[in-house]
Amino acid sequence: MSIADPEVLDAPAPVLPWWQRLLRDPAALAAALVLLVVGICAVAAPVIAPHDPFASSRAIMQPPVWAERGDWLYPLGTDGQGRDMLSRLFYGTRLTLIIGLVSVGVGGAFGSLMGLLAAFQPRLDPWVMRFVDVMLSFPAILLGLALVAVMGPGAVPVVVALAVATVPDCARIARSIAVSVMKQDYMEAGRALGVSSMTLFTRYLLANCISSIMIFISLRFGQIILIGAALSFLGLGARPPTAELGMMAAQGRDFLLFAPHIAIIPSVLIFVIVLAANVLGDALRDVLDPRLRS
Amino acid sequence: MIDQILRRLLISIPVLFGVLFLGFGLLVLVPGDPAIVMAGPTATPEIVAAIRTEMGLDDPVLVQFGTYLGRVLQGDLGRSLISNKTVISELGAAIGPTAELMFACLIWSVPLGIGLGTLAAVSRGSIIDRAIMAISVAGVSLPIFFICLMMIQYLGVQWRLLPFIGRGGPLWTLEGIRHIALPALSLGAIFIGPVARMTRSSVLEVLKLDHVRTARAKGLSETRVILRHGLRNALIPVVTLIGLQVGYLLGGAVVTESIFSFPGIGRLAVGAILSSDFPLAQGTILVLALGFILINMIVDILYSLLDPRVQT
Repeated sequence: MSIADPEVLDAPAPVLPWWQRLLRDPAALAAALVLLVVGICAVAAPVIAPHDPFASSRAIMQPPVWAERGDWLYPLGTDGQGRDMLSRLFYGTRLTLIIGLVSVGVGGAFGSLMGLLAAFQPRLDPWVMRFVDVMLSFPAILLGLALVAVMGPGAVPVVVALAVATVPDCARIARSIAVSVMKQDYMEAGRALGVSSMTLFTRYLLANCISSIMIFISLRFGQIILIGAALSFLGLGARPPTAELGMMAAQGRDFLLFAPHIAIIPSVLIFVIVLAANVLGDALRDVLDPRLRS
Repeated sequence: MIDQILRRLLISIPVLFGVLFLGFGLLVLVPGDPAIVMAGPTATPEIVAAIRTEMGLDDPVLVQFGTYLGRVLQGDLGRSLISNKTVISELGAAIGPTAELMFACLIWSVPLGIGLGTLAAVSRGSIIDRAIMAISVAGVSLPIFFICLMMIQYLGVQWRLLPFIGRGGPLWTLEGIRHIALPALSLGAIFIGPVARMTRSSVLEVLKLDHVRTARAKGLSETRVILRHGLRNALIPVVTLIGLQVGYLLGGAVVTESIFSFPGIGRLAVGAILSSDFPLAQGTILVLALGFILINMIVDILYSLLDPRVQT
């Protein structure tokens, strides 16, 4: 069959499944791979960490293996207390990711539910949205500061603050998506068929909004990780001796001159994770729901 | 016009109450006895008892909130447990430097972001567009403390170009400018990305409109079309979007001030929280929240002034 064959020309371009279209974009493919590797390292931290992340050794501030005096015993060097950087990175990534995922998950779920309910029950709409407006007046960092002031530094107040800060934005987006879904004919058809409100809400409304909402949440993930890391860097988040990437960078601050790797390696890892999340989120949006592009 | 501004002011009243209630709630929510927290770890039982009566902690919560409101309206936010100065005077000394830092950050990052965003929109799809967008995604993904540390490491320590500790004086003195340079560069670096992205999409929207096509049809030069007919209209949404990013900038300022020991509200807040200086922590959070609301309000009003189509 030649190119000029009219049948070939007339055939519509085949529509690939969304994940195949996504992985055709080299940037998105790279980002997905990075997140996969980072995720595996975080989950498998206790198995793959070569050393105890909390045990000090006599090799203090040893540089990474590519620098002079580097040693394969500690591939990424050691920190100011002689703890293995690589092992601490595995554990630190784990905590950083957990903080991000839990806050985005909990906050996203609450926010989406509020937004969907507001669209589903017009009586609730003004109340929910007024409440959301008030919540929007507290940026995440302020909530974090306030909660830490009350509860003392720790990972829990940071997670609560980040989750609460995710709620209003998510509610707004979920509402605007749900309002357009509510206008569709199939919602009317469902009602006419006498489907129960519960089914109408879950099987008709939620099912048609969920992918757009998930894209928005994935775009928030990077920002949430950054704010969490910043709070930990300031000493307001996870407490020593736990490893958290932002906190590890803060611990390296005092040794910036003699052993810059202690601060730089965790910071670069945060950058890579957030960059990958942002690139993948953007690509997902372009493939799944170009309407969301603002 | 005045109607709109009044309506906007009315809308912020519940928010204002929310913020004040948050400030008050901070004290009520503290686990344990607020009087002990207020009095600090070294206080004797008599002092705690005196503070209990003074604060009216045995009154019903709503009465307490009323008393608290009355005190705040009179500018009485208590005394710092560490310095024993009044919280209001500590805050007064810190507001100026924070405002300076914000100004010094916006003055270079917003024009640069708008310029880059416009350039990207005009050369849509080209290598320039992709490079600018890649830089802005990277900028949005960088932890602010990393930028600060690198500034200190290279511009401060190794090349000894600029000082990196504290504030040198008011912004109109040479020392003031030299000291604020690194914090303002760091904070601005995280702001260019969002501004460039917003400008790009806004300019792209406007360039599709009829009046731009008319301008082209009139035979105006492309530069004129873009600057006079495109960018001017595109900037309206950018103004609001910049306003919406104030929270983001505020977070950056808290970190930047802490790292550079810049004596603003953010550093004051972090220091107060870390040293359990409760009255001061409460005051700083209150002021930060009020500032945030105020800026958003100004931006909203500005928006309706710039674009008469918008009804607030």
